[in-house]
Amino acid sequence: MSELRFEDVTVCYGSGRSATRAVDGVSLTVPDGEVLGLVGGSGSGKSTTARAAVGLVPVDAGRILLDGRAIDVRRGRRPLQMVFQDPYSSLDPRMTVGESVAEILPKEIKRAARRDEVERLLELVHLDPARAAAYPSQLSGGQRQRVAIARALAGRPRVLIADEITSALDVSIQGAILNLVRELQSELGLSMLFISHNLAVVRYVASRVAVMHDGRIVEEGATADVLAAPQDPYTRRLLAAIPGRVPTAPTMRSTP
Amino acid sequence: MRAVRRTLRTPLGAAAAILLAIVLLTAVFAPILWGEQAAVVDTDDILAGPSPEHPIGTDGLGRDLLLRVLVATRLSVSLALVATLVAVTAGLVLGVAPLLLGRAGRAVTWFVGIAVAFPGLLLALFFAVIFGTGWLGATLAIGLAGAPSFARLCQTLVAGVASRDYVAAARVGGIGRFRVLFRHILPNIGEPLIVNATIGAGAALLSFAGLSFLGLGIQPPAYDWGRLMMEGLSGIYLNPLAALAPGIAVVIAGLAFNLVGEAAARALGIESTGIVARLAAVQPRRAVGASAPASPDEILAIRDLTVTFPGQEGPVQPVRGVSFSLRRGEVVGIVGESGSGKSLTALAIAQLVEEPGVVDADTLRFVGADLLEGDPADHRRLLGNSLAMVFQDPMTSFNPTKRMGGQLAEVATHHHGMSRREAHDRAVDRLGAVRITDPERRARQYPHEFSGGMRQRAMIGMGLMGSPKLIIADEPTTALDVTVQQQVLNLLRSIRDDDDVAILLISHDVSVIAEICDRVLVMYAGRIVEDLPVSELSRARHPYTRALLAAVPDMQTDLDRPLATVPGRPVDPAHVPAGCAFAPRCPLADAHCRAVDPDLVPVAPTARVACWHAGEPLPTPVAEVARDTEEVVA
Amino acid sequence: MTSATALPTREARRAGDHRWLRFIARRTGRLLVSLWVLMTAAFLMIHLIPGDPVRVALGPTASAELVEARRRALGLNDPLIVQYIEYFRGVLTGDLGTSIQTGLPVAQTIAQRLPATASLAVLAFVCAVIVSVPIGVAVAVATRRGRARRLELGFASGSIFVSAIPDFLLGVALVSIFGVALGWLPIAGRSGPESYILPVVALSLGPAAVLARIVRVEMLSVLEADFVRTARAKRLPPWRIYLSHALPNAVTATLTLAGLLLSSLVVGTVLVENVFAWPGLGSTIVSSIQTKDYPMAQATVLVYGAGVLIINTIVDAILAMLDPRTTVAEN
Repeated sequence: MSELRFEDVTVCYGSGRSATRAVDGVSLTVPDGEVLGLVGGSGSGKSTTARAAVGLVPVDAGRILLDGRAIDVRRGRRPLQMVFQDPYSSLDPRMTVGESVAEILPKEIKRAARRDEVERLLELVHLDPARAAAYPSQLSGGQRQRVAIARALAGRPRVLIADEITSALDVSIQGAILNLVRELQSELGLSMLFISHNLAVVRYVASRVAVMHDGRIVEEGATADVLAAPQDPYTRRLLAAIPGRVPTAPTMRSTP
Repeated sequence: MRAVRRTLRTPLGAAAAILLAIVLLTAVFAPILWGEQAAVVDTDDILAGPSPEHPIGTDGLGRDLLLRVLVATRLSVSLALVATLVAVTAGLVLGVAPLLLGRAGRAVTWFVGIAVAFPGLLLALFFAVIFGTGWLGATLAIGLAGAPSFARLCQTLVAGVASRDYVAAARVGGIGRFRVLFRHILPNIGEPLIVNATIGAGAALLSFAGLSFLGLGIQPPAYDWGRLMMEGLSGIYLNPLAALAPGIAVVIAGLAFNLVGEAAARALGIESTGIVARLAAVQPRRAVGASAPASPDEILAIRDLTVTFPGQEGPVQPVRGVSFSLRRGEVVGIVGESGSGKSLTALAIAQLVEEPGVVDADTLRFVGADLLEGDPADHRRLLGNSLAMVFQDPMTSFNPTKRMGGQLAEVATHHHGMSRREAHDRAVDRLGAVRITDPERRARQYPHEFSGGMRQRAMIGMGLMGSPKLIIADEPTTALDVTVQQQVLNLLRSIRDDDDVAILLISHDVSVIAEICDRVLVMYAGRIVEDLPVSELSRARHPYTRALLAAVPDMQTDLDRPLATVPGRPVDPAHVPAGCAFAPRCPLADAHCRAVDPDLVPVAPTARVACWHAGEPLPTPVAEVARDTEEVVA
Repeated sequence: MTSATALPTREARRAGDHRWLRFIARRTGRLLVSLWVLMTAAFLMIHLIPGDPVRVALGPTASAELVEARRRALGLNDPLIVQYIEYFRGVLTGDLGTSIQTGLPVAQTIAQRLPATASLAVLAFVCAVIVSVPIGVAVAVATRRGRARRLELGFASGSIFVSAIPDFLLGVALVSIFGVALGWLPIAGRSGPESYILPVVALSLGPAAVLARIVRVEMLSVLEADFVRTARAKRLPPWRIYLSHALPNAVTATLTLAGLLLSSLVVGTVLVENVFAWPGLGSTIVSSIQTKDYPMAQATVLVYGAGVLIINTIVDAILAMLDPRTTVAEN
């Protein structure tokens, strides 16, 4: 796949006196084939960082590089794809699931091959391929997120960005989506930027983690290291604020 | 199409369709049938009043007025439609321009913003000066006059759609701007646009009549309703009908368009008032068995609480028989997912469930007082003094137009008889008690100047204006960052420690519950399925509780194994299956489970479970944990 | 956002005042810009007319010398920029040109006729608001959550029906019933207080129906808001919830629409004045368009437009006083 690197990226909102730096000199690296978790509170700038990478928000300073080169944004080819938080607004209600996924397929693939490709992608995310003819309103939140993942994969991305993709789902469904993310990442060797406010989820999914606060990266490193021995005071505060050690005994681990 | 047929069956839809049909048929056929007759001049019978041959009378040249009114339909209606087309087209172009043009688009938006301030008639007069009188000038004038408001509508609709994630996803997917516009944006704004266009046609009709009435529209020998009204006005003393009849035609046609627009809006759910079925009177059940008498420490005693709503297919019970009690200083959590009924339980206890919901219970006692019987005014006073509520969304829970201090103070002025000065001081004091710095200044501020966490703390402070015995907090920290969440939870804990206040905490997050609660009630499909102390969670007996705990990753989760999943989806309250509601998703379920709903029974001095297989070991899982588990059970 | 340092109250109040002053300054700026756009549009109005405006005004039979003389008199032979500056100067000094028809200064005619129109519009607006707001609130409270279905149906159909009747038709109907048939009220001219009754009713009934519906819809949506639930949780008496909590929030949304309503009322006087032979600007503008008296038409459009812009500014200021969020929400 590819390595995604942010070099001293700054994104500003507003103008004149009331300009704020949503992202302030952020430098990050998503290593090739690995998952980097980006953690922070609301207003920390993590979503803005993601949106800057995919070109939804203009970068005011710094560079974003894919494998050392600027990102190729010629029409029809975007090497970075994104899965959004809200399953209820990330799919066009007037297009079938199949059409939504097919729209992102590269133009080189022609008619019949497109249908096959859509089916392959739906199976990849463990959805019944017959669902291609369904409209989003007929699917549940978890199923819609699977479609959103399939759509992102349709673009043959080299890097996948997941922006709080389980925050809007019921607890009993989150697990299945996280399992899917892990499975896809290991099968396809995707490089991934996984954004979440939940440290436990990030710990489960990401091998490296970066902590963001007020638009800046305050700490970065291997997940196990950062969580075991946090250096930055904000990271320590985050870890200390995680609620309730839910008492778990060894017997719990053998349950499905 | 189905929606069209459904609307035609409603009285509004039927009336609109009939009226529109009449107008359109008249417009098409009247000139064919009566065009020549309407032009017949009869100089012997000028300006006559109503008579058998001329039901409305005749005009200045002896022509029959009724026929002229009918024949005028075509011109009036068709020009109105053309003008609407001009307005919608111009408005659409101006409305999507900002999307396509970037910088120049902003100039367009600015210009439309100014133009929209001017009323349509003024703009029409403005254009009438430029284009002159006559049908072409008037049509262009009215069409262009309507363009700014359509443009503004388009801009708003486009902005609403353009900010949705699926448009962003398309752009990220490399789809070009034009394609995004035609494939995603326009289809999604089509419906409100059509509704507004229909109503706009009605307005155009009226504007046209107005212009012609002033003599600036249709010129003779052509005639439309406005012109006929103008001609009739001069003879109003002799024959008022001459002026009124064309006016009535204008009203009918205008009504037809407006009603069609309204019916379309209803059909598309743009303004939905909802179909509220009549709920059969729910007979309050009085205590069959005597409930245990209230102990002095008892804060809350609830037995068999139900909440019922009318639904499309019959009554729906999101809460179906909840029983528990709360003692002084006890902190109890209710955990559940969507459809579990946990929030409604809280609202029902607080007597905040409104019509058409109906709350009922065998016992509903708060601090010894029976809330199901007695004087509502007394209840109001009791609840106002002893119960504090904290709701989920801090951003919308305060009145945006009042200062924070005042919103806290009014509790004291209304329930504790304090003066405004005293109440204000108490409010400032309470803001300080919930650790809001500089409370004197903060009390003068408006809610939008507080952050989310501060608002939640202010909410708690508002509850502490009196001396509450119970705080009910419904997902108080869901919308907050984890560090702010910790502050709010610590605050609640300290309130309990200082004043022995009981707390009922509702959340979907077990870890939040485990943080400060002594006991937890697990709800599923409107029932409590397990009731146990937090310290014993690792020894939970109900399969759902165990699945819930296993499915949530925490800081100790084994990284080498996939996360536990619970197959199927949370239950829809309108379709609760017979027997145990969790059976379709439960690995231990058997035929008995699917047939009979287990009761909540004590299994230990401090725990209750509702399960036929409580505590039994769960089977080892099959592979394929990433599959679409929601498909397993439709 | 934790408050770091404690500010003394006086400074806090000054900060609030600053925000208000900045809002007023911004809004006034917008008003001036809009007025400039209006003046430019009024100026261009004449020059957008296809062909020669003077020729169109005087007709095809007028002699070429007459047309030329008129053109010179109106300054139409000068370059456009010069005309623009002249026009601007004229407007700012109160010189709105000379009527082609009457030869009198336009400003004089306008000054004479403006009070009649203004008094009619303001009176009609006040009546519309006084009638519609209480009705809208009362119906909202009575029909929330599906109660009193028949009342809701009656109210909805009644208001749709009334608002579908154009004001000039209403005027004609009122004239024929109360003036001609019953002879109770005067139907032409502006004489005493009774002469106001029919025109005001004709002008205000439609907008009142529309406003009542809007007030009801806004009130209903406010009554479902979270902060109303909070007020109920505080066990405040119902009247306090409706009047002190719900109504101010419903008013802010209604006010914007009320402003538009007033603007369209002002222009609606054009039609109603025609029905009642009211000596206001309405008949002036119509006759000036018919007779192609361009300076007069231009000036009346300018006056109406300026009136509309000023009304909008006043409404925005009132809105800002009622809802403090609007002072911040500008971007």
